[in-house]
Amino acid sequence: MADRDLPVEPLDGFAPDVDLAARLRASYGALPPADPVQVERVTRAVLASAMHASSRRDGSPRPRWWWGAAAAALLVVVVMRPWRPGLSHAEAHRAFPVPSASDGPVGATREERGGAVRFDLVLPSPAAEVSLVGDFNGWDDEATPMVRRASDGTWSARVPLPPGRHVYAFVVDGKQWLIDPLAPQVPDAGFGPTNALIVEGPR
Amino acid sequence: MTAPLAMAWLVVAHLAAGTLMVEQTVGPLPAADTATRQPGQPPTGRREQTQFDATRFDSVTANTLRGLFEDAVEMGLPTRPLINRALEGAARRMSSERIIRVVREHAAALSSAKAVLGPGSSEAELDAAAMALRSGIDEPSLTAVRRSRPAGSAVTALVVLTDLVRRGVPRPEAREAVTSLASLPRSDDALLGLQSTVAKNALRGPGMALDALNRYVRGTASGTVTPSTPATTDRKPVRPPDP
Repeated sequence: MADRDLPVEPLDGFAPDVDLAARLRASYGALPPADPVQVERVTRAVLASAMHASSRRDGSPRPRWWWGAAAAALLVVVVMRPWRPGLSHAEAHRAFPVPSASDGPVGATREERGGAVRFDLVLPSPAAEVSLVGDFNGWDDEATPMVRRASDGTWSARVPLPPGRHVYAFVVDGKQWLIDPLAPQVPDAGFGPTNALIVEGPR
Repeated sequence: MTAPLAMAWLVVAHLAAGTLMVEQTVGPLPAADTATRQPGQPPTGRREQTQFDATRFDSVTANTLRGLFEDAVEMGLPTRPLINRALEGAARRMSSERIIRVVREHAAALSSAKAVLGPGSSEAELDAAAMALRSGIDEPSLTAVRRSRPAGSAVTALVVLTDLVRRGVPRPEAREAVTSLASLPRSDDALLGLQSTVAKNALRGPGMALDALNRYVRGTASGTVTPSTPATTDRKPVRPPDP
């Protein structure tokens, strides 16, 4: 390194200062060698700054930071369609369908005139017998058998119930206890989950 | 002397027959003897009793349960929820130890519920609150529900709160939603609509229940959602249309 020439040539018209040149040469020779990592880092920075030089040369627009934000906003507006909320909700419902009777039991209750409640249950698989048990029949699986309608296969039972809160479940083939997955549920507190029904009575 | 002897003979006769009638002591009592009522017959308004069918249990279990029921009566707790728990356990063919443990835990929960809701609470409120406590809902939440319904029954609010928590709604959000709806006119309809909406959306995946809850509460509070959603499914209405 010490015998290398200076990186600059003497200017034209000026006599070279031998002493100064010797001092510069000594200082230049005392510099440490360049770090390869630093050299690579500087090279990358220079290349990155010159990345869009070609697009500037051919007249095409330079990428802007807000292009991404505008694209995201456009996507949200197109997908959500705030001017048609019903359509968006319908598509969301289709995208996340509620499980049907083929996925599990589907139950329903309906208050009827005369203080009775009709319990309906649709099972995903055939069953020989289904009964309704609850605090209204002493949890006796023989007290309230459900009747299968031939038209749609729905198991049904009609039970007179007074106003108030009642807890119930379904027993399939005398051994399998089922609950309506959509009805209010009483948590498993030792035996297993059950459904809750609130009968309001005549208004 | 003859009167105590006659009473003793009656008790012995009941025990020998395997049945013991435990009379309720707390709250208005809905009928529970529909198994013996003729179909279509309207429920009676008389003071009902719940029959403890001891023949479903072995003698040791039956006597232990009788002791628990008598303790509940002495504590001023309703016995019918306890009898129902015992009968449910027998119907599910649970072991005697498990039945006794569940009945004992439920009696403790009823006592806690009575302390939280107050002595004037109905049997249905106490039972619903006991189930809420056993499902992990804390006592301040029950107090908040009670305050949101100072005059009317809090049964629906308690049932819906328990159901929401069971379906994965965080407890603070569930409590806030229930207490806000419970103070509205026709709050029971609004609460059952909330339960139905959350139940349907909870089946679609995690996070959907909470999203549905927030949307329903906002819509109900602003009046854009009519609180008439059925309690169970939207396939059939729960309540017949008003005449």
